[in-house]
Amino acid sequence: MTGDLLVIAQIAGRRCALSALDVKSVIEIGTITPIPRAPVWIAGITALRSQALTVIDCRRAIGLTGGQAEGDWATDHRAAVVAEGGYSYALLVDGIEDITTAVGEAGQVPGGFGPEWSRIATGMIETMAGPALLIDLAALLTGPEAVRHEIEVAA
Amino acid sequence: MDDLLADFIAETREMLEASGGELVAWEADPADRARLDTIFRFVHTVKGNCGFFDFPRLAGLSHAAEDALADCRAGRRDPDQQLVTAVLAIIDRIAQMIDAIEAGEPFPEGGDEILIAALDVSHETPGNGGLEGVEEGSNPPLHAPAAALLAANDEQAAPYRRSDPAAAQRTIRLPVELLDRVMSGVSDMVLARNDLAHRLRQAGNQPTIDGPFERLTTILSDVRDAITRMRMQRIETLFGALPRLVRDLSAELGKQVMVDLDGGDVELDREMIETIRDPLTHIIRNAIDHGVEAPTVRLANGKREIGLLAIAARQSGNTISIVISDDGRGLDEERIAAKAIATSLVTSAERQAMSRDKILNLIFEPGFSTAEIVSNVSGRGVGLDVVRQNLEKVGGSIKVASVPGQGTTFTLQIPLTLSIIAGLTVEVAGHRFAIPQSYVEEIVQASAKALDLTRMGETALVTFRGNRVPCLMLGEVLGLECGESAPREPTLVMLRLASGDLFALAVEGIHNHGDLVVKPLAPAVMRSGLYAGSTLLDDGQPVLLLDVANIAAHHHLVSETRTRVLGPLDGDAAARTEAVPRAMLFTDFAGRRSAVRLELVQRIETAPATAIDRSAARPRVVIDGLILPLVGLPETPLAQPRVRLLRLSDGACELLYAVREVEDAVELTEALTPVPEDPLAEAMTLIGGKPAILIDAHELFARHGEPPVAAARPQCVLPDGEWARSILAPLVTAAGYDIVPDSEADAGAIGILFEDVYEVAEALGRPLPARLIRLRDQPEAPKGSETIYRYDREGLLAALAKAAASRTGVAA
Repeated sequence: MTGDLLVIAQIAGRRCALSALDVKSVIEIGTITPIPRAPVWIAGITALRSQALTVIDCRRAIGLTGGQAEGDWATDHRAAVVAEGGYSYALLVDGIEDITTAVGEAGQVPGGFGPEWSRIATGMIETMAGPALLIDLAALLTGPEAVRHEIEVAA
Repeated sequence: MDDLLADFIAETREMLEASGGELVAWEADPADRARLDTIFRFVHTVKGNCGFFDFPRLAGLSHAAEDALADCRAGRRDPDQQLVTAVLAIIDRIAQMIDAIEAGEPFPEGGDEILIAALDVSHETPGNGGLEGVEEGSNPPLHAPAAALLAANDEQAAPYRRSDPAAAQRTIRLPVELLDRVMSGVSDMVLARNDLAHRLRQAGNQPTIDGPFERLTTILSDVRDAITRMRMQRIETLFGALPRLVRDLSAELGKQVMVDLDGGDVELDREMIETIRDPLTHIIRNAIDHGVEAPTVRLANGKREIGLLAIAARQSGNTISIVISDDGRGLDEERIAAKAIATSLVTSAERQAMSRDKILNLIFEPGFSTAEIVSNVSGRGVGLDVVRQNLEKVGGSIKVASVPGQGTTFTLQIPLTLSIIAGLTVEVAGHRFAIPQSYVEEIVQASAKALDLTRMGETALVTFRGNRVPCLMLGEVLGLECGESAPREPTLVMLRLASGDLFALAVEGIHNHGDLVVKPLAPAVMRSGLYAGSTLLDDGQPVLLLDVANIAAHHHLVSETRTRVLGPLDGDAAARTEAVPRAMLFTDFAGRRSAVRLELVQRIETAPATAIDRSAARPRVVIDGLILPLVGLPETPLAQPRVRLLRLSDGACELLYAVREVEDAVELTEALTPVPEDPLAEAMTLIGGKPAILIDAHELFARHGEPPVAAARPQCVLPDGEWARSILAPLVTAAGYDIVPDSEADAGAIGILFEDVYEVAEALGRPLPARLIRLRDQPEAPKGSETIYRYDREGLLAALAKAAASRTGVAA
């Protein structure tokens, strides 16, 4: 893990890290075409040149709801383009901060990061720019429903 | 090195496939030089390529075949049946070895010498020894007569013959990703071109730039066309292997089958060709195994000894149809039905009601296994249900028709390509969506009245060409807020599913149609079951492609009988409705639970209580400009502001039946008990366990029915001009006016005038209609003006409504 390039982004005011290998590019988000009846955390599709990207609202994909999801964090209208399982996504984040290198392995902190964040995070990672939450892309793109189902089953 | 080996395997395979047809044709006519050359080139290339690798056995086999063929070409030897058989055996062995090499498995030792020796038998030991080593499949007594027959008659052999096999196109192999990249690159260019065109238009005419830009546009569309074609391949590549397949199968089964291929020049997406390869093979296997009879049986039935298997490909629009027909014994309806009953696919009662076609189509049902008549040829664990599934997966369909004793025809309908489809862009609530053109039967842009759009409970129905067709509101399907922007007269897209079911999709507008490059959508989006993919429009905006089949299935529009028993016949559905009479159940104003036969019910109307005219002896209502008699009203004045009316018709007369509440359409399953004391009641029956009176329509129409009288609609005179005719006229008509020319207008007619015309007319003292609506061209009204902006729809409608109200006031 040490020495890996990371893209540092802000999501809901938290500093998160994505592996630079996953991030294909950072784009200026243009018009988003909404997808009726799609899960709320999918904001729609947008075009990147001749490619259609599925736009993921990261705050909602993490499972933050209400005030947390709508929060006051300013966004810089940029999105990170990632590919997962053969599909391309644009991740809507508050902003893209920096590209930096990891200094150490991803680790856990006592008490965890809270249920929502723990689901989508591999762990905390120290970087040249300070600590950040390393995002598990596949978990993020599964959306919050998976967890909710489990809760419903349990209830 | 691995790449080189993979290339070698791929090339050899490709050549094997391409020369499959040549081999069989050569067998039919060994003297054919062109085919001899093709086969020689094949073994020669294999031999040459083996030089790069360490495949001594492969080299030995191909070398031997090459020598023998070289002798033939040089005229030192005449090709005969045995030589052909021996060469074919060697080519078969080469194919097996290639398979083994690709799989990385060792190929069983030995056997090569016998094959090589067989090449020489015609010289030394004719008809024995070496031939035994040749595969059983090419046992001369079995297929030699067929071959001899084919050779004897040049006409019959003709179907195999291609115009000029030597003039084949030069080809190379390319990775698909590269093609995809080029395709998306060109799409990018088109988008950039469109953007540029937009900017150029804004900048105004610039001759020095416009010329070259036009040229760029032409070149770009050419390139786009060529790129699209890059994915296409002639179906010949698929057909090429079929003669060999048919030959081997018929030989194995002791049958004689001739194959007639047609339409090899039809082009298909490369991926699609791969998709239909297995289904096609399966059907051919079935045809030869079950369809075509043994030669003796055929002769006994007065048929030619050789069976004919005709395979034809045709392109029509954006679908390709492939028809596979044999002249065999045909499908056995009784046997299929018996089998279906035995496997509880249908009940005996259902079977009685089923048409022959429907029974035949049972062979595509999952669970319908033909196990007892399976041989080692067709019993490969893959049924026709899988064939149908595979075809439906790519948007295709399959059906079968068969005449006993005369043969069976399978028809495959498949879309031209997987990734590029013709599509229609529709709009609803400000969103745009694409619909695959292949589903679109027709687009209807008529008024709601002409289509008879009615709501039955939560379901909407339209009458289309005399049939009641379910109608889905796209906005509702997608959960969109249509609100005020929704026009009162939606555009209906009539969609026909592969199962034959028809339904209407109401949208707000049609944008355009064109080719769509369909990209897959993320799994989380696909899970909604509404979309089949996404595509980019020419302006770069992404749109979603609707999954029409899935949406229909989700709304239960794929009829029950068809999901269980596939069959495209409407006759049965009609028979079914006749078998069980249906009625509309309602509660009348006397509180009685009543029913009226459903055939009589045209639709359910809702009329404001004020629209009911009770001044005459018999109440009447004006609906759609018709004065209709109304029955069923209580004596007392109505309490509610609106009243529900059943519009009944016996074909000639119409009347309205006022009801307190419409319940449902029900089936009349219980016994009908006559009620002699009530002349208006046909019978008493039980519906849902409770009694209900079935209204005697005969008596009802005898007493109250009368042909509808057209109510005088208010008249309106329009200004001259194209705008008034095309834009204003529909609006005025929809508001309930008849448009009349100035000369025919009566005194009460409303006139619509443009302000400038009005001013001129007033200044000249010309006569003007008594009631006027004045239109102006500018959005802002001049001070004190009584005019309405020409595009102020609301204002115009309000003015028309006001004028109409004042007119009825005058009349009353």
